[in-house]
Amino acid sequence: MAVSKKALIIIAAIIVIAIIAGALIMMKKPAPQAESVIIIGTTDKVTDLDPANAYDFFTWEVLSNIMSGYFEYEPGTLQLKPALVESYETQDGGKVWILHLKKGLKFSDGTELTADVAKWSIDRVAKIKGDPSWFVLDFVDKVEVVDKYTLKITLKQPVSFYKAVLAVPTYFPVSPNSYPADKISSDNTAGGIGPYRIVKWERDQELVLEANPNWYGPAPKAKKIIIKFYKDATALRLALESGEIDVAWRTLNPSDIISLKKSGKYNVIEGNGAFIRYIVFNTKISPFDKKEVRQALAAALCRDKIANEVFLGTVEPLYSLVPKGLWSHIDAFKEKYGATQNLELARQLLKKAGFSETNKLKVELWYTPSHYGSTEADLAAKIKECWEATGMVEVTIKSAEWSTYLQMTRKGQLPVTLYGWYPDYIDPDDFLYPFLHTGSNRWLGNPYSNPEMDKLLEQAQVAPDQATRAKLYEQVQEMLAEDAPIVPIFQGKLYAVAQKNVKGIVLDPYMLLRYWLIYKG
Amino acid sequence: MERLKKLWRRQRVDVALTLAGAAIVLLVLFMAVSAPILAPYNPIVSVDDSLLPPSPKHPMGTDSLGRDVYSRVLYGAQIILLVVLTSTTVSLITGSTLGLISGYFGGAVDRALSVIMDSIYAFPGLILAIAVAAVLGPGVLNTVISISVVYIPTYFRMVRGHVLSVKSRLFVEAAKALGASDWTIMTRYVLPNVLVTIPVVFSMNVADAVLTEAALSFLGLGVPAPTPDWGFDLKNGQRNLLSGYWWPALWPGFFITLLALGFSLFGEGLNELVGGEA
Amino acid sequence: MASLRAYILARVLLTIPMVLILLTIVFFIMRILPGNPVLAMVGMKASEEQIKTLMKELGLDKPLWQQYLDYLWGLLHGDLGRSMIWGRRPVLQEIWDHFPATVELAVAGFTVSVLLGLLTGSLAAVKRGTLLDAGLRVWGILAYALFIPLLGMFFQLVFGVWLHWFPVAGRKNPLIDVPTITGFYMVDSILAGNPWGVVDALWHLALPSLTLGIVLSGIYTRLVRTSMLQVLGEDFVRALRSRGIPESKILFGHVLKNAFIPVLTMMGLQFALLLAGAVLTETTFSWPGLGTFLVERIEYRDYTTVQGTIVFYALLVSTVSLIVDVIYAYIDPRIRY
Repeated sequence: MAVSKKALIIIAAIIVIAIIAGALIMMKKPAPQAESVIIIGTTDKVTDLDPANAYDFFTWEVLSNIMSGYFEYEPGTLQLKPALVESYETQDGGKVWILHLKKGLKFSDGTELTADVAKWSIDRVAKIKGDPSWFVLDFVDKVEVVDKYTLKITLKQPVSFYKAVLAVPTYFPVSPNSYPADKISSDNTAGGIGPYRIVKWERDQELVLEANPNWYGPAPKAKKIIIKFYKDATALRLALESGEIDVAWRTLNPSDIISLKKSGKYNVIEGNGAFIRYIVFNTKISPFDKKEVRQALAAALCRDKIANEVFLGTVEPLYSLVPKGLWSHIDAFKEKYGATQNLELARQLLKKAGFSETNKLKVELWYTPSHYGSTEADLAAKIKECWEATGMVEVTIKSAEWSTYLQMTRKGQLPVTLYGWYPDYIDPDDFLYPFLHTGSNRWLGNPYSNPEMDKLLEQAQVAPDQATRAKLYEQVQEMLAEDAPIVPIFQGKLYAVAQKNVKGIVLDPYMLLRYWLIYKG
Repeated sequence: MERLKKLWRRQRVDVALTLAGAAIVLLVLFMAVSAPILAPYNPIVSVDDSLLPPSPKHPMGTDSLGRDVYSRVLYGAQIILLVVLTSTTVSLITGSTLGLISGYFGGAVDRALSVIMDSIYAFPGLILAIAVAAVLGPGVLNTVISISVVYIPTYFRMVRGHVLSVKSRLFVEAAKALGASDWTIMTRYVLPNVLVTIPVVFSMNVADAVLTEAALSFLGLGVPAPTPDWGFDLKNGQRNLLSGYWWPALWPGFFITLLALGFSLFGEGLNELVGGEA
Repeated sequence: MASLRAYILARVLLTIPMVLILLTIVFFIMRILPGNPVLAMVGMKASEEQIKTLMKELGLDKPLWQQYLDYLWGLLHGDLGRSMIWGRRPVLQEIWDHFPATVELAVAGFTVSVLLGLLTGSLAAVKRGTLLDAGLRVWGILAYALFIPLLGMFFQLVFGVWLHWFPVAGRKNPLIDVPTITGFYMVDSILAGNPWGVVDALWHLALPSLTLGIVLSGIYTRLVRTSMLQVLGEDFVRALRSRGIPESKILFGHVLKNAFIPVLTMMGLQFALLLAGAVLTETTFSWPGLGTFLVERIEYRDYTTVQGTIVFYALLVSTVSLIVDVIYAYIDPRIRY
């Protein structure tokens, strides 16, 4: 006993001394941060490093930095440019795509990128049937090798936005010598052909990337990228303030962004995001099957208050499902219901639907507490307040965890829900078709179906030129504002907050951060 | 009177602790009961600009949605007391009843129940409550269920222990020999013994349940927004803490600890006063 | 010793029903109530067929009792199955990925709580009846009533944001490169011969372990005080005093040693509380441990992972309490099993 007590005291003393020493040393000189290392903090997580199964925003970002596709977006714009292809052509009215691959590109295991490898990669996605496999299965009829560097993709039918689909990470080629042909390889760090490669991967803790020596393009400005994963926005902000990280990327709290901006100590980079938030009415549940009810609630929505009070101006009111900045966007809801809360119209519509101060419309509004960040409860509370301002509505708020929320929605059990959308590919189709086309909105419990709408959406999918498509999409958006099965609330802006010496952060509607452009100067 | 004086002289600190605890609990109870009168504003709608610092108009400031924190704190006392007292009472009744039955009749039922209760008892309570609450979903009733599950074994073990020790005593056997019914024996001999320890265990237990309820709400598993709820408000306020807005988080957090402290002090002091070692 | 062995065997056998009961509770409530790991995983656009295929692949299309028996059968072979979401990694691997963080936090928090408890408890006992004693008793109760997130946020604000003394989140400085061998950063740093790694790990542990330690120290304060008062009143102390042995030597040489035994028993009982407290501490300090991991996976209804983690927790609790009991039996020969 005596010995163990002594040992205890000694251990305690060592710990105390070490902590004090550590604290003193760290206080004096902040951690030595090499010029060429950029540390990025995020609250997102990498789910599955296999492109055949990865299907979320942040994992796609990482994949876009360690691999690349046949096409990619020019940073800062929504222009697609050839990446792994030298050139390409389409045939048969956009049904057949011929890709001429760049020659001599090598994966990190030494395998060369040939048409065989490219075909194998696409077939692999189809075979594995992972979550994003529909990017291949829904569009592609067959993939053929024409010669060593030429690939021929035949589609089931012409798809006007297929080039954007080809740019999604699901199509990134991987090496057959590093990835199994028919199995998901979730923790595979082999990567593809990209500016960086993974050198260390500890799930939920850190991911370390180094410049890829085999990369054909210009060398990345930062030789090393460290990504640190944080549990929540508070921890992320604290890490930035203590100098632990160089860049606080998604997602800080609105109030943090505002106060960090005010402090003047950091670079706050702002960009237009293409993610949208909206209210979904289940049009099969009474009384939301009545158009007037949906229209009334659309009119009573106070987008400006939500944007300014709940999100402190870090989001922008949105009046269509197609985000602002994307071609064909029109402010359909603004034209129909006004820019701000329109109580008079809302009350008129409610009366028309048979409601009054004494016979109030009862709304059960559902939200999910963590999936969309910690502001969600406040968002629901605000919407309740706005709707109840009509004096004819009584809102009960309910919540469910994400997987429960999804299941109950899909089964059509939830009357009014709050959802958000991150685009798969940047095209109006991706913001309209999944919501409004009969059968495609099964994930929302199949609520809305309108044959006229279906026809417009189908036409727009195959129409060859953008002008024709834009016109069709404008019609779709007008019809959407009229029927109001889904009511847009706001469009997110992107924020990255960085230490003063960090440069080269480009934020654009494509939304994925390009690590290779970031540097310290 | 003389006895009380003696008690005061000998156990001044214990008396002080008990009284202080009682005072705190009564204060929170008062807050809950008189919230509709005391609260200057509706706790669930914005009444002013958001994140205003404390001022005469808003004694504890306003929160992220411009709601009056003072009003929310007052109404929050209702929810936490409701949930905590209901769930611990449910545990008390269920646990005690099962303990009584199990201890008195013994046999296979006793063995099975004991194993189940011991398993739950040994497991980290909060983790079990989280698992149950997360699956059941948010809501007052579900929170009550999750919390009571955790504390049933406490009472089960306590009562069963008492029953076993009383059962073996001579006077009980004598009563049995004289033909007293099971019911008479239980109510006459077993219950009084148990009743002495229950206030102590119960108030300690409530203190623990306060922290569990707050933890569940803090993790987003409690009552859905916008109901005022201390644990949830603390979590919701944490978001703005680092920007210098400490008041929406501090006040609810402070009252959680205060309430837990009140019940602990009361239980602890009482324990010393009755001379027990619960 | 034979009786001790029998006791250990009995205790080991008792863990089986414990694991089974907790597992059964969790297994059935999770599956009966709504929520489905497949939906949380697949994109929103997934087709009904895709969902069905996936359900089948995961064995979720079978009747409940069969899933239950399958799981038990696997468990019997030490197989906790694979996670149902995000790459379907083996559950055991997921647990080992998060376990070291929790152990580091728990051990550090535990050390803080015992040291703090011994200090305040013995001080209160020695100064019995004074204002300091009363104050320390209140402190003991207050410490227990402190809400971990509140205390944690307070420390973050004061020592992290205002004073910049300690890091407020995470386990290590990303620039200190220590290879992952065991997952325990301190051990890894020692193995890699990197003293800075050790300092850095301890430095990151400071605030979380202080938070957890303070809250858990309350019980020790009370216990040490009571048991020291008891020992101080015993005959041998009086005998030592009459022999003129200095008070400090009596106190530290004899009294504390004897008063330590009940504290040791409490350590076993406290372990469950330590794990529960660790969940809140982990959440507050963004600490990537088992607790936060479990909470996250419950949200996604990752059935197998939640079940596996619960089983793991149950085993952990039983093992630790068993170890404490055995140590206790060796130290205190009065105890016979």
